[in-house]
Amino acid sequence: MINPIDSILRVLVAVLVLFLIGPFLLVTVFSFSDNPLSTFPLGEISLVWWREMLAHPRFYDALANSLIIAASVGTISAIIGTMAAISFAKMSNRRATTLISILCLPMMMPPLVLAVSLLSYYNALGVPLNLFTVIASHLLFTMPFVVLVTYARLATFDFTAVESARDLGATPLVAFVTITLPMIRPTIIGASLIATALSIDDFIITFFTIGQGNTLPTLVWGMIRTQLTPSVNAIGTVLIMISICSAFVALRLTKYRA
Amino acid sequence: MLPAFAVFVVFFVAPFIYFFVLSFWRVKLYKISPDFSFVNYGKAIERYVPIYQLTFSVAFAVAITCVVLGIIYAGVVRFKAGRWATLLTFIPLMTLFGGYLVKIYAWKTILGINGILNGALIRLGLTGEPLTALFYSPFAVAITLVYFLLPFAILPIYASMRSIEDIELDAARDLGASPWRRFSDIIVPRCRPGIVSAFIICFLLTVGDYVTPILVGGKISMIGNMITPQFGQKFDWPLGAAMSFVTLTLSVGFVVAFSLAMRLWRPR
Repeated sequence: MINPIDSILRVLVAVLVLFLIGPFLLVTVFSFSDNPLSTFPLGEISLVWWREMLAHPRFYDALANSLIIAASVGTISAIIGTMAAISFAKMSNRRATTLISILCLPMMMPPLVLAVSLLSYYNALGVPLNLFTVIASHLLFTMPFVVLVTYARLATFDFTAVESARDLGATPLVAFVTITLPMIRPTIIGASLIATALSIDDFIITFFTIGQGNTLPTLVWGMIRTQLTPSVNAIGTVLIMISICSAFVALRLTKYRA
Repeated sequence: MLPAFAVFVVFFVAPFIYFFVLSFWRVKLYKISPDFSFVNYGKAIERYVPIYQLTFSVAFAVAITCVVLGIIYAGVVRFKAGRWATLLTFIPLMTLFGGYLVKIYAWKTILGINGILNGALIRLGLTGEPLTALFYSPFAVAITLVYFLLPFAILPIYASMRSIEDIELDAARDLGASPWRRFSDIIVPRCRPGIVSAFIICFLLTVGDYVTPILVGGKISMIGNMITPQFGQKFDWPLGAAMSFVTLTLSVGFVVAFSLAMRLWRPR
């Protein structure tokens, strides 16, 4: 039994799917076409924009900075976030939820406000802006994700195995390393990859806290604002690939369902 | 737990307090000097009234559009999609990531003067010159932001829809409730947390956005475009801070009003 409202809704959802993935496909397709204007007709298939990207004098620095920042943010927020999630798991549900929502506050801020307040703060303290300030700033909005995901996993975690190990004389550290950690490892890796994807993606906070130097997004920003070359499409494709792949692996590992 | 809260206090609470204090300071002879004055707030409010109006209108339109489309998308995935459901939940999750700037830039290539839409219109002979009025406009800003934010709306709404059991809707239907009645009396009230958080995220991210107006807005400026220069060439950080707090306060007001309004939506 198919009624007209159902069909309209289905068509609408099909349009929304196209709306969501179309622009990604355009960027990717244009990066392989030799048309210098990024319009249809597409022109010949060509790697010219990819070569231009690789020849860009600041591309490798930006890529290296992006990877350094993302890897550090992923690792640090995984460690700190997991530690926090473990202590929350030992608390009452109510208290843990309150503390977690406090930690999530930075995610509720418009990134611009976060960025300019951090910029003025570092400036007032006389802290030089560099990759470290970017990493510290990224932790603010990546750590809550790790806490949320890991805490959700620990909520269904059976602590009896850990308690038996403790009864048999294992120190808390040994019990953690031999039992808890192996069991929740996929979740931690997944959460840390989500943190990595968020960090790679970030433009606004990076832009205000990096001082000199570039990451891939700030490089893209420079290119969009000055000369509009389709090699932006190539860098864009790289960015999309890195963040979507890490998110994809992350979601498989954490078995996170919406 | 301690390291997490240490990061939170050192890099969020402290900067925020300092930023608030800064908003009462003044710039004298190109130096920021401590003061206690409301001058910045006066300027931040009276100079930018039209900008706030535009910013909050765009934010409201974007957030409502995202919520409505999010309800439709999530509703079809939850109740109608059948074997497509897994794939359809995966698409917004994946498009959540993948480059904020790249997403906006993609719309520039679609809507721009030499963009795909203009190219198509010219080839079809519908217009001789590239259209700028339609594309470099608040409409272009809104559509780009809806594109960027829709996944942020779908996911929380879908999450709260998952707690609705099929049997509740079946029971309502068997008792004679119309599709609209089932939607309005069961689905919407049960999804309220998801709807409210979708609205909050979309609203706040739009209010703080300054990149989209620059890339696709033409001469359109939102409040973010007025705040960033204060930290750049205009060098008036205290004024920028005051503008940020005015914007935050107004945003919180809007968001609270929306969640209160949603509370009024009750089953008859």
